[in-house]
Amino acid sequence: MAYSDKVLDHYTNPRNVGTMDKGSAEVGTGLVGAPECGDVMKLQIRVNPETNVIEDAKFKTFGCGSAIASSSLATEWVKGKTVDEALQIKNTDIVKELSLPPVKIHCSVLAEDAIRAAISDWKKKNG
Amino acid sequence: MSETGTQLKVLQTRPNQHKCWSCGDMRAEHFCGECGHVQPALPTDFFSFFGLPRRLELDEAKLEDAFYTLSRKLHPDMYSQASQREQLWSLEKTSQLNDAYRTLRDEIARTEYLLSLEGIQMEEQSKVATEQARALGVEKKQTVPPEFLEEAFELNMLLEEARMGEVDDDVREQLDATENSLTARLKGLRDELHKVWQRWDAGDVSATGAMVDVLNRRSYLRNLLRDVQEVLG
Ligand code: FES
Repeated sequence: MAYSDKVLDHYTNPRNVGTMDKGSAEVGTGLVGAPECGDVMKLQIRVNPETNVIEDAKFKTFGCGSAIASSSLATEWVKGKTVDEALQIKNTDIVKELSLPPVKIHCSVLAEDAIRAAISDWKKKNG
Repeated sequence: MSETGTQLKVLQTRPNQHKCWSCGDMRAEHFCGECGHVQPALPTDFFSFFGLPRRLELDEAKLEDAFYTLSRKLHPDMYSQASQREQLWSLEKTSQLNDAYRTLRDEIARTEYLLSLEGIQMEEQSKVATEQARALGVEKKQTVPPEFLEEAFELNMLLEEARMGEVDDDVREQLDATENSLTARLKGLRDELHKVWQRWDAGDVSATGAMVDVLNRRSYLRNLLRDVQEVLG
């Protein structure tokens, strides 16, 4: 499979790989999987309680190059956005940015799922 | 039980559906029952191609026999003297035959294929579910339980460490045990799948949901097993 330059860039030089303290009230954690291929992705956000702005994001993905690139891009995109703004990110935006082919759409879906799961975890913690 | 799901009627005569282009009679699907001429390759699903009902338990040995018999009868060598259209039809049918056989002989491919005939595309499911959750503004339900994902994630972490560092005796022991348990669980899923097949074959259409569920869990376990084995070398 030929990856686009942007995918390769994120893949070889992923941004924001890592983990945060799951127990912290400011941190939301999303752990999601793609049943199509069995890949898993964890994405975490740290939200400023005053402003609802996502100040930091980290990810760890065990999956294909497109999934790694999608999650790397997702962490870049959510940073600096409010929680509500981040909820606007769609998998199709990721597909476009990374020029993913149809068979790799589910990889971008995984990244959207991870963002939404992280936000909803954070919301649960913060009632 | 009327039909056992194992009867392959490929070579038997069938009720009149189409007329043979050559002699006017038409009782067999692939070949005319009267004059034996090959028939046009009509679009068909793989079960029908082999004259099988849409059931999941099937006699793989019989399927294989039917495959070889048909392969021989459709072989290009048999048609070197035949008309151009017969040559074409035999080629088209051969390619249908190969696709149908490859799909039906494999338990997982067969199950996924049946699901696709029922309108369930495994490839599409997470996209569709995500779009629905987004539209409704609710949290998407993951297809497998959270503990399951957690376990897959943790094991991946362990594997990553093992790949980077040295696989010492402790790690090896741990991975050996994991390999055994994954193998056992995959075997368990296979049994589960066979039970779900029986439900489907008995006419329970709600069994498709359970099939999807089994296949989803299976894809994670299969990945993990593959990765564990790769690290164990
Ligand atoms: S192939 Fe599964 S996430 Fe990319």
